[in-house]
Amino acid sequence: MEPNNDVALDIIITNVVAVFRTRCHLNLRTIAREGSNVIYKPEVGKVLMKLRKPRITASIWSSGKIICTGATSEEEAKLGARRLARCLQKLGFKVKFTDYKVVNVLAVCTMPFQIQLIEFTKNNRPIASYEPELHPAASYRIKNLKATVQIFSTGSITVTGPNVQFVATAVEQIYPLLFECKMAAR
Amino acid sequence: MSSRVCKTCGCADIDIDQARGNAVCMGCGSVLEDNIIVSEVTFVENSGGGSSAVGQFVSSDGTGKTPVLGSGFHTSIGKESRTQTLQNGKRHINNLGHQLQLNQHCLDTAFNFFKMAVSKHLTRGRKMAHVIAACLYLVCRTEGTPHMLLDLSDLLQVNVYVLGRTFLLLARELCINAPAIDPCLYIPRFAHMLEFGDKNHEVSMTALRLLQRMKRDWMHTGRRPSGLCGAALLVAARMHEFRRTVKEVIGVVKVCEATLRKRLTEFEDTPTSQLTIDEFMKVDLEQECDPPSFTAGQRKLRLQQLEQELAKKIDEVQGEICSYQDEIEMELENSRPKLKGIYASYTKEDTQDDTLSVASGFPGNEDGEDEELVAAAKHLNKDFCRELLSEQDEADSGAESGAESEQPTTSRQPPLASLLGPLPTAASLGLSDSIRQCIAEKEDEENSEHGELDLNGIDDEEIERYILNEKEVKIKTDLWMKQNADYLKEQKEKEERIAKEKELGIYKEQKPKRPPKKREPIRASTAGEAIEKMLEQKKISSKINYDVLRDLNKKGCSPSHQSEEAVTSPTSKRLASRRKRNIAALGLGNQVSNMGKRLKPLISGPTIKKPAGDQGVTSTVPTPTPEVSQPVVVESGPVVYEDVPDEEDDEDEEPCVSAMQLMGGNGL
Repeated sequence: MEPNNDVALDIIITNVVAVFRTRCHLNLRTIAREGSNVIYKPEVGKVLMKLRKPRITASIWSSGKIICTGATSEEEAKLGARRLARCLQKLGFKVKFTDYKVVNVLAVCTMPFQIQLIEFTKNNRPIASYEPELHPAASYRIKNLKATVQIFSTGSITVTGPNVQFVATAVEQIYPLLFECKMAAR
Repeated sequence: MSSRVCKTCGCADIDIDQARGNAVCMGCGSVLEDNIIVSEVTFVENSGGGSSAVGQFVSSDGTGKTPVLGSGFHTSIGKESRTQTLQNGKRHINNLGHQLQLNQHCLDTAFNFFKMAVSKHLTRGRKMAHVIAACLYLVCRTEGTPHMLLDLSDLLQVNVYVLGRTFLLLARELCINAPAIDPCLYIPRFAHMLEFGDKNHEVSMTALRLLQRMKRDWMHTGRRPSGLCGAALLVAARMHEFRRTVKEVIGVVKVCEATLRKRLTEFEDTPTSQLTIDEFMKVDLEQECDPPSFTAGQRKLRLQQLEQELAKKIDEVQGEICSYQDEIEMELENSRPKLKGIYASYTKEDTQDDTLSVASGFPGNEDGEDEELVAAAKHLNKDFCRELLSEQDEADSGAESGAESEQPTTSRQPPLASLLGPLPTAASLGLSDSIRQCIAEKEDEENSEHGELDLNGIDDEEIERYILNEKEVKIKTDLWMKQNADYLKEQKEKEERIAKEKELGIYKEQKPKRPPKKREPIRASTAGEAIEKMLEQKKISSKINYDVLRDLNKKGCSPSHQSEEAVTSPTSKRLASRRKRNIAALGLGNQVSNMGKRLKPLISGPTIKKPAGDQGVTSTVPTPTPEVSQPVVVESGPVVYEDVPDEEDDEDEEPCVSAMQLMGGNGL
């Protein structure tokens, strides 16, 4: 197992998804009428509101559940969620900011070497699965971290997990496995 | 059987004869047992002369439910759901398998997979077709047959990815590791489809070599194997002087033209492409290549780096140019006469205004930081300040220089403003935000308990911008109404419909689907009754000519027919009410529909209750009918029984025979 102390892998977080509840019923039509950057989808029953400052998109349901996506860090997600709640407050709803939780974090990372996917899949059955007919990446699920890693042959990987800490741990866990199956050095 | 001791003589030697069913003591000859119950397989003679074993097969893993004797003909007698599922599955597997030309061994293996899947309850919530396709594909993979998932999806007209999902799940649950696909497997199949005639084998071999070369050059990781095969075959065909167009190859291989072209260009980039045909056949280059996506990524990276370097260089150059500019300006001004008096003060004011306007641009702009711009801005800023200072020093400058000094400032102002514009002070704002958040974390926790909104770092003014004023609201509402007029109309109609139905009292609440209720086996004294009850359970088929059936039964026995009418009219009422739509669709004519309409108000009460079981229905229904009918039914039993089975045998698949005649009979 090669230690990765010499090489610093930068993990770039590209998406953070968070949910929270407002504990009050929201009238979607009012929001749709009076918000300036909203998309109303009556068939599904939700309103999409996009904020500019932390660039996030929020799906708002009439039950008061709100899902925020598009933030690039956990703090940003919280800030965006609070902004959104404030906006709804101004529209006249008795909004409370409860049950805030980060649900999913998506990060990308590039390895400095290419990876032989077939060998990787062979070594790590059945946790890893690779179906070239369906998707060009091999997917590896880490059960205890509840994280999924998608590995491409170019060496870039995408990791999704419940929070940033787990994502980082997942990258650390998978690095030695990938290093074993790296392609012959050019 | 335990051998006992003979009572009379005490002898333990007892002879048991299975054929006679006797147990006789060998000592004294007394018969100890008679008519012993034997548990052996016995045979019974059929009507055709053959003999069949007596008894039924009961599965060991099934429920203890005893099969219905006699009148359970709509389900195969004695079979439980599990065996039915397996039989069904086997049939489908064989169907599909034959279409794919799989041999029997593969089909058996697939059936085994299916059995495993059923026992693990993987068929629940999934279409049977998907599960079967997944089993078959699993077999294909383990055996290494050249079948693609695409073929299966073609046959079933299902999305490939849906099938893929089911297949992956199946492989994971059954802990079967399907070996990775080798594109070399597909070559013989595609080559055969492309019809190379005598040279088929040679072309295949060439294509194989090409593929192996591609593998060494890392073109095949993460790609669909069929695309690679297509490219290899195309090149191989051309090498052996066969004219195969891209279109033909695409039709066989099932990738799109762009993919094929891309593979070909990638192969072109490898050094192998430079070899001639003969060389290729003989020599194998040692060097391996990087995968094409990797090289593309590297190229992008390199381009980006180049751009950055260039940008930096441009900045430097710009900086240099600016400094030269400044020096030149300085020199020019030094050599010019200076303004004195009022004009000097004017120039000073102007420059101050400029600085103010530029400075106000700072906090207003909040986009991302850009190091280059910051560096450039700082540099220019320095010059600007220097300019200011130099002008202030020369407060006594003359009008000309004042005018000219204005010009350079104005000429520099737009670029400055544009350059300095996107300078972020939001950076500082953002930092203070996060700092405040860190400090105020404890507060946050308390707030989250109460559900109050923590207003730290939230700019109210900005949020006000998100909310439209009244006029805008009105315009938006109008626009939206116009756009979504159709949807709104639909909603209104739906509500009206529901309101109407509520009035009539027939409003059917759309409850979530309940699991299908288990049906009890029908117990009836006559065949006719049985048919009625069965028809209630099952929906009426639209493929039966009910008029003919009606006549058939009528011909047999008219008195019993009339009695049946009386008995079955209540049941038919129920049928009519529940299936008024079906009846209309069947187009049985006025009689039935009239009857339905006539009887509907009569039975509107009981139908709303929605009886739990069909038996309940039939048991409650006969009570309102006059008791006269019941004994009549019993009498006519044997008469009816003769007629009906004959018809039933004919239409076993659609056994809803006599209900319609019963219903129609009422009208007649």
